[in-house]
Amino acid sequence: MKVTLEVRPRRKPHLPIEAEKIVPRTFFEETDGLSVFRGNKELALEEIFSVAIEGEAASVDGVEITILGDSSRIKRVGEYMDGGRIHVMGDIGMHCGNFMSAGEIVIDGNADAWLGREMRGGTIRCHGSAGDFCAAGYRGEKRGMRGGTVEVFGDAGDFTAETLAGGTVIVHGNAGDLAGVDMKDGVLTIMGDTSMACANMSGGRAYVHGTVYDMIPTFRNIGRETVGGDVFTRFAGDIANRGKGTLFIRNYKYMD
Amino acid sequence: MTELLIRNACVIDPINDICGEIMDIAVRDGKIVESVGSGAEVIDAGGSLTMPGGIDAHTHVCGTKVNFGRYMSPEDMRAGRTARRGHMHATSGYSVPTTYGTSYRYSAMGYTTALEGAMAPLEARHTHEEFAYTPLQDMMANTLFDGNWPVMQAIHDGDIKRVAAIVGWTLSAVKGFAIKLTNPGGTEAWGWGKDVSSIRDVVPHFEVTPAEIIRAMIEANEMLNLPHSVHLHCNCLGKPGNYETTLETFDLVPNTNDKRQSLYATHVQFHAYGGSSWRDICSRSEEICRAINQKPQIVMDMGQVMFGKTTTMTADGPMEFNLYRLYHNKWSNHDVELETGSGIIPVYYNRKNLVNSIMWAIGLELALLTDNPWQCILATDNPNGAPFVKYPEIIALLMSKRYRNGVFQTVHPDTEHNVPLAALDRELTWKEIAIMTRAAPAKALGIVDIGKGHLGEGADADIAIYPLNINEIDPAKAPEEVIRAFGQTDYTIKRGRVVCCRGTCMVDGENTTIWVNPRISENHSMDHDPEFARNFDKNYTIRMRNYPVQEEYLQRNLCIETEARL
Amino acid sequence: MKKCDVICPFCGCLCDDLEITVEDNRILGVDNGCTLANAKFMGKERLTSPIRRTDGGWEDINYDEAIRYTVDMLLDADRPLLYGWSGTHGEAQCIGVHMCELVGGIIDSTTSVCHGPSILAIQEVGHPGCTLGQVKNRADVVIYWGCNPLEAHPRHMSRYTTYADGYFLDNAFRDRTVVVVDVRETETARVADEFVRIKQGGDYAVLSALRAIVRGKGDMIPPSVAGVPRSQLERIVRMCKDAKFGAVFFGLGLTMTKGKYKNIRNAIELVDELSRHTKFTITPMRGHWNVYGSNEVFTWMTGYPYAIDFCRGIAFYNPGETSAIDILARKECDACMIIGSDPGAHFPRKCVEHLADIPTVVIDPVPTMTTAMANVQIPVAVSGIDAEGTAYRMDGVPFRVKKVIEPTLPSDTEVLGDMFARMKEAKGL
Ligand code: SF4
Ligand SMILES: [Zn+2]
Repeated sequence: MKVTLEVRPRRKPHLPIEAEKIVPRTFFEETDGLSVFRGNKELALEEIFSVAIEGEAASVDGVEITILGDSSRIKRVGEYMDGGRIHVMGDIGMHCGNFMSAGEIVIDGNADAWLGREMRGGTIRCHGSAGDFCAAGYRGEKRGMRGGTVEVFGDAGDFTAETLAGGTVIVHGNAGDLAGVDMKDGVLTIMGDTSMACANMSGGRAYVHGTVYDMIPTFRNIGRETVGGDVFTRFAGDIANRGKGTLFIRNYKYMD
Repeated sequence: MTELLIRNACVIDPINDICGEIMDIAVRDGKIVESVGSGAEVIDAGGSLTMPGGIDAHTHVCGTKVNFGRYMSPEDMRAGRTARRGHMHATSGYSVPTTYGTSYRYSAMGYTTALEGAMAPLEARHTHEEFAYTPLQDMMANTLFDGNWPVMQAIHDGDIKRVAAIVGWTLSAVKGFAIKLTNPGGTEAWGWGKDVSSIRDVVPHFEVTPAEIIRAMIEANEMLNLPHSVHLHCNCLGKPGNYETTLETFDLVPNTNDKRQSLYATHVQFHAYGGSSWRDICSRSEEICRAINQKPQIVMDMGQVMFGKTTTMTADGPMEFNLYRLYHNKWSNHDVELETGSGIIPVYYNRKNLVNSIMWAIGLELALLTDNPWQCILATDNPNGAPFVKYPEIIALLMSKRYRNGVFQTVHPDTEHNVPLAALDRELTWKEIAIMTRAAPAKALGIVDIGKGHLGEGADADIAIYPLNINEIDPAKAPEEVIRAFGQTDYTIKRGRVVCCRGTCMVDGENTTIWVNPRISENHSMDHDPEFARNFDKNYTIRMRNYPVQEEYLQRNLCIETEARL
Repeated sequence: MKKCDVICPFCGCLCDDLEITVEDNRILGVDNGCTLANAKFMGKERLTSPIRRTDGGWEDINYDEAIRYTVDMLLDADRPLLYGWSGTHGEAQCIGVHMCELVGGIIDSTTSVCHGPSILAIQEVGHPGCTLGQVKNRADVVIYWGCNPLEAHPRHMSRYTTYADGYFLDNAFRDRTVVVVDVRETETARVADEFVRIKQGGDYAVLSALRAIVRGKGDMIPPSVAGVPRSQLERIVRMCKDAKFGAVFFGLGLTMTKGKYKNIRNAIELVDELSRHTKFTITPMRGHWNVYGSNEVFTWMTGYPYAIDFCRGIAFYNPGETSAIDILARKECDACMIIGSDPGAHFPRKCVEHLADIPTVVIDPVPTMTTAMANVQIPVAVSGIDAEGTAYRMDGVPFRVKKVIEPTLPSDTEVLGDMFARMKEAKGL
């Protein structure tokens, strides 16, 4: 089943549209009567998107959703996704792939904040940049993302992979402040630079191929180590937190 | 004039000695009456179990500490959210719901009255503000005196009259209902990061012991003629071996009041541990219940623990810190100047954990080993042992040996070596459940005379009709029916109006705050005591004149005036 | 006539010992208050009637018209924002929550631009705190971190810390050690016993280092952390561990700099760590007199302390997304009602521009910077001067602010109550 959703122009283009219904399972089960919200107004899916559906699917994995047009303010696409595929041709709004457990989301443009929040499984690939709290957790919750893969080909914002508790996060560009802060498990890789990496981490592994600025002073320097042909400095910490995490860094600078 | 007639009710009303009679209940203007006219609104109960509205004699639902539990727990909030609907406001939260959430859920379970277990006098305005937004239950506030400086000074001076005078002044100033002692002396010590470890320890600087505080307050309580007794959270909560402290404490209690107990010991489950460490902790429910069975002057509540997620919150600051060191989860603490403390941490009671399994068993044992159900009230110390929405399951556990055994199979396998539960065959009756959930709380709180906890003429028309026919259902064999029925009434009636029908609240509601005002002679009143006022303004960060809770915070309210013997 | 024990509705200290001289329903003098209190009570010119923007200026309208305008605006909107609340009393905040729930909007207080990060941190690790009297009577070490009480909370030090008498201290001024941590030497830093100067953005690193030293891992700390020599950090830790009662107060210098809420989390975890050795507490220096009240009210009514989105019926909370500043910057609301705060003076330009683009109503006794963005302004009585109600001090202690003169205008509660009644009617409730 191929579902094509093209965003129509809106009178108030900045008001976010909450579209948690846009997830393969919904279309697999029932394609009629779907709705989205603009603020407090419930609207038929067709009011916001022109909708085209072709073919049938034998399982949720047979559903592929393509989103065209300006979807930068469409929120919660792929929330609780448990199979199938979503392809966003442009940018996507906040909370794309929240709680996702299986399937694949591909974003050609940029993703707004909270991409893959509290994700459990599946794959998200974002070819542009991601906003703050990419692959992070929720307020007050100890454990954030627990499984699956988030790969960002551009940059990621502040608090990337905050409270990461499982799964893999890869940022090909730079990450903002405090990437991997409070992480507990899982693997975080940043190909570019970041600052204050992995502050207060208690477990898991992180690799920074660029430079960590404002390096946290409470990581113990274990020495040099070669990983995949590159030479890193290996750190253990965060000591401030009795942490047992491991941090591999190419270059780092303390704020002394 | 509004009239209501409930027909064909199968009534259990222990205070009036009615047990399973099919009868009609007539209501006029919020009170139960002999009969009503033919124009009365009629509800046909169709033989369903009908009881006085439930009364929670110890719960934490309103005030600074509870609200901080919400404030720090967005993850708990999102676990239970509903939108505005009809007369119902939006609600959030599971273990610490919003005030509306609390009120609606209690109402759906047939509860119409609740006692907030701990109010710091300094922050009383906050509790009363939240009472106003808990519209479907009449509310009372236990008022904390465990670390009250002027009280401890008066005890040190051996001046019980002054103790009573200070307590009386404070209760009426803050519109409180009863004296609450939480880890007496321990909360003051916690002001220095310390605690007391027995009732004979001396409180730093004030040089009084917990035992002296407890005894003096029991005496002062009777001098003030208060409806309720001293309400005590014993020292050493949650510590292996603490049952000895609990028994020693029970030994302090004289039998001084022929209408009710002289001491209410709350959440005794947390105070009934043997052993010397977490490794050899075991149940001492038998010793505790032996003492209770011999001492009619003591009433307790279970403090039942149920498995799952919850939030612990108590004025017992040092205990919460110890828990924090055990669980390493988030920890909040809030000490209140000259008065008390408090702490909050989220917990998860895990059935695979031996200590948690033992705790679960002890609560049930207390109820099953207490001969007289009037002496053991059903409560979880909400939300400390479990959120109150677990009450129906607790009722089923007490009524069905089979159900109990079934759950016992799922707990930590070593539990049976540490608790006597498996050997207890008792199954509580409908009447005993009615006693433990409404009649005994009313009697223990001293609110039978103002029309609570029974359905006799003149009583408040607070009534719960459960979708259950006790002549058809054997609770020992059909625990799931019991859980379903106690989880949601067909009708909850408050002050003669249907406030909740099958889980849907029907009115905006307006509750009553019940408080006490002991009349104290002029020469004992703190209002005319220059030394008290001078120290007040010197030591508090609030002026004495700004301290009392203003009338504006009491909308509908019922003041119980007492004559103090002072 | 002198009115005693009056409560000051200006900053989070809520001093309750003011003496106000009133003659003929006019305030003639303020005793005991600081200069900020004086300015508040002596007040500037107030509006006397609601006003509505016309093509080139303003016209007076009556309350009925102004309230009708607001009600229609909120009912029509897809995503209305109800913002402010810190400058009004709790009873009005409660009505605000009911209004927001009914129209399906977003309610937020000034928290999101001051101590919002502190709340986010508390939601992760909790908050070991106490009432201010505990500090006053017991504290022998007081740390002010990223705040300047002498300017922002002028009587904080004299009522609750440095200069206040303490029951357990013989000579409180001499027996208390005061430490100031900041990026520049403030006025408060100059009166402190010890000043720790941190490089801009270095708070997190310094807090981590302190935690490690408390845990006995000082050997691994670099010789200098964000401009602070290790020896000074070690001295501070010794001082804290030797304290009988330590109290940390922190301000926007910690919440609004690099690291944001994780700074506060780190500070709280430092206090947790110190609590294993001695008594330690931490308290945010809340700014507006009743900003903490807005958090309390919102919490018991909605479950969340600020930034609550009711658009979907249930309460949704996600600061950064549902907070006023983010919503305005992203133009994610289509109407705004502002009460008890002046975002025109404090918000970034982008936000203010959006306010000018959408229908906006301001409820405020005096013309403010926000007035310039408003379509309608409704003047009200001033809480704590000619209206009474509940306020929560920075440590959570509730007070009832008083009415010292008789009002000539309706209070916030009355105006909002009227709006809410009309909304219910419009919705057929
Ligand atoms: S310190 Fe704050 S509350 Fe106290 S008088 Fe000054 S402005 Fe008012
Ligand atoms: Zn309790």
